[in-house]
Amino acid sequence: MTITTACVSNLFVVSAFVVPLLMVLAAFKFLLVAFQFMELKKANSFWKVSLIVTLGLLIVVIIGLK
Amino acid sequence: MNTLKINYKNIYYPPGGILMWIIIFLELITFGMALVAFVHYGSENAAVFHHSRMQLNTTFGAINTVFLLTSGFFMANAVYQFKEKEIQKSSVFFKLAMLGGFFFLALKSIEYYHKIESGISLDTNMFYTFYWLLTGFHVIHVIMGVVILGWTNYGMSKKNSDTVVEDVEACAAFWHMCDLIWLLLFPMLYLIF
Repeated sequence: MTITTACVSNLFVVSAFVVPLLMVLAAFKFLLVAFQFMELKKANSFWKVSLIVTLGLLIVVIIGLK
Repeated sequence: MNTLKINYKNIYYPPGGILMWIIIFLELITFGMALVAFVHYGSENAAVFHHSRMQLNTTFGAINTVFLLTSGFFMANAVYQFKEKEIQKSSVFFKLAMLGGFFFLALKSIEYYHKIESGISLDTNMFYTFYWLLTGFHVIHVIMGVVILGWTNYGMSKKNSDTVVEDVEACAAFWHMCDLIWLLLFPMLYLIF
C-alpha cells in the first residue's frame, strides 16, 4: 500500500483526485494499524468510533482545504 | 486484576490502557491541528509549497514508512508472544521492533543532513518551518519510543521480572502511535503538494 501511495502521487492522469485518493489510502493504512496492530478491534465501540470520527474529520478538513 | 483476563470491551480498559489512549488522542489532535494549518498555508502559497515539496526525497519517506510499519508488525508479535508467556520470543520481537526504529532514525538523519547541507532551515520558507517542526517532533517521539521499548524489554527479560501484560501493551500502543502519526505526515509532507 505504501508503494501504491507513492505511485499514485506521480500519476498525472488522476491529478484531480490524487489528493483525496492519497488521503483515503493513508486513512486506510491508519485504521489497519489501529485495528490490527493496536487490537482496537477488541476494544469498546466508544474507542473505535472515536478514532474513526477523529480521523475522518481530519481527512475531510484536509481534503476540503486542499 | 488478573491480567490474562482483561476485558477489552470495558470502556475503561482499551488495549494499552485508558491513559495511553487519552495520550494517543491528544497527540493525534495536536499533530492533526498542525497538519490542518500546514495545508491551509499550503493552499495560500501553492507554488512555494510545491517547489519545496519537490525538494523532498519521496523514496526516503516511503522507505521510512516501510521501516515503521514492519517495526509495528514486530511489536504486535512481541505483545502476542508475551501473552503466550514466550518471553524469549517476545524479547526477540522487541529487539526487531527497536531495529526498525533505529533504521528510521538513521534514514531521517541522512535526510536532515542533506537538508542542512543544502542550507534548508526552519526559516527557509513556511513549508520548511512546518517540515522541520512536524518531523522534528515526530523524531523525538520515535526516540522516546525506542527508549521505552528498550526499557520494557530489559525489565521483562530480568529474573523475577514484574512486567505485566498491561506494561507491554502500553509500550506497544505508544510505539504504534508513532507509526500512526507518520502515516499522516508522510502523504501530507511528501506527496500532496
